[in-house]
Amino acid sequence: MSEVNGKVLKHGEQTRSMHWIHLLAFIILALTGIAFYWDINGISNIFGGPANASLVHRWAGVVFTVGPTIYILLNFERFARFVDTITTITKDDFGWLKTMGGYIPFLKGDIPPQDKYNAGQKMLGCLIILGCLIMILTGFPMWLWRHALSSGFLAFCYNVHFWTAIILILAICGHFFLAAIHPKSRVEFASMMLDGYIDAEISAHHNEKWFNELQQGE
Amino acid sequence: MSIFKEKSVFTRRQFVKGSGMLFAAAVLAGIFAKIGFEAFDTSEEYIEQRAAGLYSLDESMAIRKSHENPEILQIYKDFLSPGEVSPVSETAHHLLHTKYGKDIPGLIEQLNAHQHEAA
Repeated sequence: MSEVNGKVLKHGEQTRSMHWIHLLAFIILALTGIAFYWDINGISNIFGGPANASLVHRWAGVVFTVGPTIYILLNFERFARFVDTITTITKDDFGWLKTMGGYIPFLKGDIPPQDKYNAGQKMLGCLIILGCLIMILTGFPMWLWRHALSSGFLAFCYNVHFWTAIILILAICGHFFLAAIHPKSRVEFASMMLDGYIDAEISAHHNEKWFNELQQGE
Repeated sequence: MSIFKEKSVFTRRQFVKGSGMLFAAAVLAGIFAKIGFEAFDTSEEYIEQRAAGLYSLDESMAIRKSHENPEILQIYKDFLSPGEVSPVSETAHHLLHTKYGKDIPGLIEQLNAHQHEAA
């Protein structure tokens, strides 16, 4: 590991605020959604019963949509850089995927240097953007036009909404485990949820390519 | 302690990818919104036509109020309240009020008895 002192500002204030808002909206949406699908009154009652939980689900959906939209419009540059990073796949990313970044014990090998986000985070980023878009596109018709749309189209929205939600919930559980619990990467948690900073040494090790760019820019 | 921060370099590739992503999202949202609004308009139009149809059917009827229906008035005069039109007469009350569940056998008995009386 390289010997570097200092801190790296990994996530700006607005990015962290948007992440918090989106996370809270997601948790509420996931809980209320699970309560509807499996008819779990214990969860619905936290939100004031099934009818109120339904209202909370819809308005949390509005926050889930409007929050990132405002962020993207106010921080288009940052968003565009994020999209560029997560959609740029190099042989180093394939190298990371071959060893799964060293997270899986029996997959041995050298882990190639990574960008600001490693290959796994890039895949998660793409999955979340696509998943959120699908959730928004299938969610609003079920709310606003349910009395006007054909039952076939509504059933399509309903099923796609459900399965995308399942995939997203599992992905976010994995994301939470790796970013907040796993000893190898839990340092990431504070950088996104608290002050935005991460030790330069950790960044130099986990995000070498990005850190080298930062150093060159100094 | 040194603090490292990203320089705000914005390349053409980043711009194209960022705006491409937004454009794709906007197009998809537009398609879904178009489907939704068109279905809503069609539904509104159908409801308006259906309501207009019901109103025009009602307006074309010769008798539009049950209490002015000569046949009903005649039934009251002849049978339910002999000699007058009294909608709350005892016979009308017994015969025209709906019964449910365990009251039905009693009603059937009552009707049968009335039939015998009439015969």
